[in-house]
Amino acid sequence: MSYISASGVKFSYDEEGQNVLNSVNLKVNKGEFVALLGHNGCGKSTMAKTLNALLIPKEGVVYVDGMDTSDEEVTYEIRRNVGLVLQNPDNQLVASIIEEDVAFGPENLGIEPEEIRRRVDNALKAVDMYEYRTHAPHKLSGGQKQRVAIAGIIAMEPSCIVFDEPTAMLDPNGREEVMRTIKTLKEKGITVVLITHYMDEAVLADRVVVMDKGEILTQGTPEEVFSQVHLMKKYSLDVPQATELAYKLIGVGLRFSKMPLNTDECISLLEEVLS
Amino acid sequence: MSIIEVKDLSFTYGVGTPFEKNAVNSLNLSINEGEVIGLIGHTGSGKSTFVQMLNGLIKPDSGQVLLNGSDIWAKPKEIRKIRFKVGMVFQYPEYQLFDQTVYADISFGPRNKGLSEEEIDKIVRKSAKFVGLSDKLLKQSPFDLSGGEKRRAAIAGVIAMDPDVLVLDEPTAGLDPLGRDLLLSQIMQYHRDRKNTIIVVSHSMEDVARIADRVMVMNKGKLEMFDTPKKVFSQAEKLESMGLRVPQITKIMLSLKEKGFEFSDGILTVEQAFSEIVSLLKKEGKV
Repeated sequence: MSYISASGVKFSYDEEGQNVLNSVNLKVNKGEFVALLGHNGCGKSTMAKTLNALLIPKEGVVYVDGMDTSDEEVTYEIRRNVGLVLQNPDNQLVASIIEEDVAFGPENLGIEPEEIRRRVDNALKAVDMYEYRTHAPHKLSGGQKQRVAIAGIIAMEPSCIVFDEPTAMLDPNGREEVMRTIKTLKEKGITVVLITHYMDEAVLADRVVVMDKGEILTQGTPEEVFSQVHLMKKYSLDVPQATELAYKLIGVGLRFSKMPLNTDECISLLEEVLS
Repeated sequence: MSIIEVKDLSFTYGVGTPFEKNAVNSLNLSINEGEVIGLIGHTGSGKSTFVQMLNGLIKPDSGQVLLNGSDIWAKPKEIRKIRFKVGMVFQYPEYQLFDQTVYADISFGPRNKGLSEEEIDKIVRKSAKFVGLSDKLLKQSPFDLSGGEKRRAAIAGVIAMDPDVLVLDEPTAGLDPLGRDLLLSQIMQYHRDRKNTIIVVSHSMEDVARIADRVMVMNKGKLEMFDTPKKVFSQAEKLESMGLRVPQITKIMLSLKEKGFEFSDGILTVEQAFSEIVSLLKKEGKV
């Protein structure tokens, strides 16, 4: 059974206004890593907020682990299970010491002090920031801050984390650190929904969902989605440069055994074809 | 002719405290009039400190910034004038919009220059046009605009001061691919019309490769490289050791070249890569 199941979801920010989400049907399986792509304003961040009951659909329904997000009785249970990580790390840290920041969530859940200690240590180890536990967050790099923000979510022991453009403000190293952390979480069985504008991040997902004007345009494995270079270009979306190059070469008659999605695949496929 | 010349420029934060940090360390360089410079470096490499010294927001501990041959700190009381000549667009400039209409917001700079209403009107409309904002949007509150429009409005506000040097810190961060392409092409169109000097600070190697005449690479407060994108991005290993990357397409072509295929160094776009591969295939009679 799917962990998250959204069906016929419609949403608008004001009563009379245009729908930001227009009958979206989305299912996410337990332990799956889904990337959500689309323009600014296509509704992907709105969609993300319906997944942990920050927004309740105007029409349609979202189930998280069988719980209806519009049922106020289970709102807290849903938010504990579905954590949200946002774009700007500076807006997500609240305490002046890193381990206190990570403890903020579990403290508010009323968890026993020893258990909090255990969770904070584990969470900081999971994002590889344990040795910084007594430091002040403002001294960290962007990637490190973002990993602390992720640790704060992990300490609540959620089964799913929704990331809304977590790397938009980071330098290349910071981006890699955060993506490595996301991959580790996925390996530990946490369900991941990643909203991003970076195609090289989306190719790491199990499934890519492309949204346009509040609707789902297409979805599938990264290979299935990015092979549709023509469709992606038509909606002014990017594909990885590796894929675009292969697509152009197919246009002049080259044949590849599969569509390359990243640098290494592209290099070995081209090597085969050119030798 | 060089418009900016930087001599032995240094700045240290928190001198005498445990947090003392040498952010910029004896920088020497010159930037020509009308050049587009891409500035890259990891977080904490000193890029922001450096650009803030170009318009006197930070006063160097030692060394000089020469603008058109004269030291910007020669008359400290007149440093404000420098800020009209070197315009700065900070990261996420849409958070700095403040006035009731987009028009009022863009006109803030020229009004502070003491121009007449007529001149101000002309400048506001021209600046808005440069960044692709329609006349209709000028009457709206900046807070009703979309993210991309807000960013363009904020950039128009700086362009309205008609700076000789325009510094943009991460202008495309957080924009989608369409918004990013649009903004970059508008900046380049503005550059072709106005022929002024532009410095773009960016974490996106692809953006820098696309627009820059020369790329400045900073690491630990020092200038590590300053050359054409082609030459800078041919040095993938050196860039990676400084926490940077080369564009994906550059990396692919460099690796194939190392494996013995005859491609040029520093290929920066998919189009270039495509045409090099096609001509290789033609030579071998494969297509």
